[in-house]
Amino acid sequence: MLKLVDLTVGYGAFHATHGIALEVRAGTVFALVGANGAGKSSTIMSIAGHTEVHGGCIEFDGQDITHLPINDRVRRGIALAPEGRRLFADLSVAENLMLGGYARPRAEEAANRDMVLDLFPRLRERLDQRAGTLSGGEQQMLAIGRALMAGPKMLMIDEVSLGLMPKAVDICYAAIARLRERGITVLLVEQSTKRALEAADDVCVLESGRIVWSGTAAAARQDPAVIEAYMGLAGDGAHG
Amino acid sequence: MLAFELTVQGLVQGSIYALIAVGLTLVYGLLRILHVAHAGLFTLGGYFGVLITNATGSLPLAILVAMVVVGVLGILVYRLCYQPILDQPPYVALIASIGLFIAMEEIYRLVFGPFGISYTDAPLTDTVTLATLNLKQGEILTMVGTVVLIGGLAVFAGRTRMGAAWRATVTDPAMAESFGIDVIKVRYLNFFIGSALAAAAGVLVALLNNLVEPTMGSVPSYKALAIIVLGGLGDVRGTLIAALALGVIESFGTIYLGTILDRDAIAFAFLIIVLMIRPQGLFGRA
Repeated sequence: MLKLVDLTVGYGAFHATHGIALEVRAGTVFALVGANGAGKSSTIMSIAGHTEVHGGCIEFDGQDITHLPINDRVRRGIALAPEGRRLFADLSVAENLMLGGYARPRAEEAANRDMVLDLFPRLRERLDQRAGTLSGGEQQMLAIGRALMAGPKMLMIDEVSLGLMPKAVDICYAAIARLRERGITVLLVEQSTKRALEAADDVCVLESGRIVWSGTAAAARQDPAVIEAYMGLAGDGAHG
Repeated sequence: MLAFELTVQGLVQGSIYALIAVGLTLVYGLLRILHVAHAGLFTLGGYFGVLITNATGSLPLAILVAMVVVGVLGILVYRLCYQPILDQPPYVALIASIGLFIAMEEIYRLVFGPFGISYTDAPLTDTVTLATLNLKQGEILTMVGTVVLIGGLAVFAGRTRMGAAWRATVTDPAMAESFGIDVIKVRYLNFFIGSALAAAAGVLVALLNNLVEPTMGSVPSYKALAIIVLGGLGDVRGTLIAALALGVIESFGTIYLGTILDRDAIAFAFLIIVLMIRPQGLFGRA
């Protein structure tokens, strides 16, 4: 589904990653883990088209999308729930959802919205509320829901659990599992290794912009110490 | 009773300020540009108002044509003057805007003459008595028209898909674009609406003063800048309140402070005082 080949991305003269390569298989959940500043977000943001690519290429569905404009990528089926959510804070929950599906035919809107509200019933109670007034967990649900309104083949979620109450994290991961059942590919960035290993099929560990470990989550679960050693972190929920 | 009369007169003037300043604050909110040339479009609106009314005898037609044509010219100003220099620091656009404003005033002087023009048969000059208040029909039209236009804008921005896309683009252009919102179209829309409102203000001022002249935009341009700073740059609601407040304060000021301060000086004294106390504007969050 998604292939990164020798990908170097960054900002101006700064390289956030140094020639990383990975492949996300269709219909699976792929977790990108690593400490703060390892280059996870830069990688995801470059796939969405927000970060400059300095070298290498990004292939999606067999096509090179490295230099496509942002909204073309959305139309091809890549949706993003970015770090910090970046909701339209002054707009209502309903408006945020509507805008998530702005590029899709109007006819699909109702069905997609039902799907999202079915996934996150909490949002249904908040439809007329300003997005900025939601709790952190609700904001993450809305960010994921807004991305899903675009009817993506692949959903990317940056920092799924960062700053959320454990209950909200559970809801988000339950939603990810349901999306996987529906055949939607999920690429997530996570600082909490434990959560990522439970939810993912494949895992890749980034350190200082390089891949230091990759493999199946099953293999990683056998020996989580390996991954934690790479990350220089101990245990669940540590935000380094 | 004088207080009531002064308040209403202030609201008439404040309505004009509001129509001008809203466009300015919309441009600032979206692009972080101080669009000084906006007042040049206001002046052009006034010319269209007088010329078309004189030619056809229809004020409504004049208002409509002025709003549409000036709205489209607003898009052209963005496309030709601002879009090429969006990557530059903000003062570059400010300098371009001031230059364009001066050029516009000179063009009006060349095209329409230096002395100003009036309605041959000025419409809506009759006085209406409401309770104890004597108002010219033109003043009533100014207030009602402002309510209708700003109300229409509120409905458009708050209740339509395109309005939501517009507000989303102001909040976070990169995210808005990533959902397929055409941010260039949003900028066109923004300039069209802001310029059309300024044109309506121009026609109304021409009506109230029965005069348009090439420099009629100068003072409103500075005042509108003061108003959007007071209202919190980019904040439409704050700008509306600041515009109406300034109109009322000027109206009282000319009576009670008229011997010390001239009408236009009052606006800037108000601006300086407010900014000393609340540098983030009247309603801005610190």
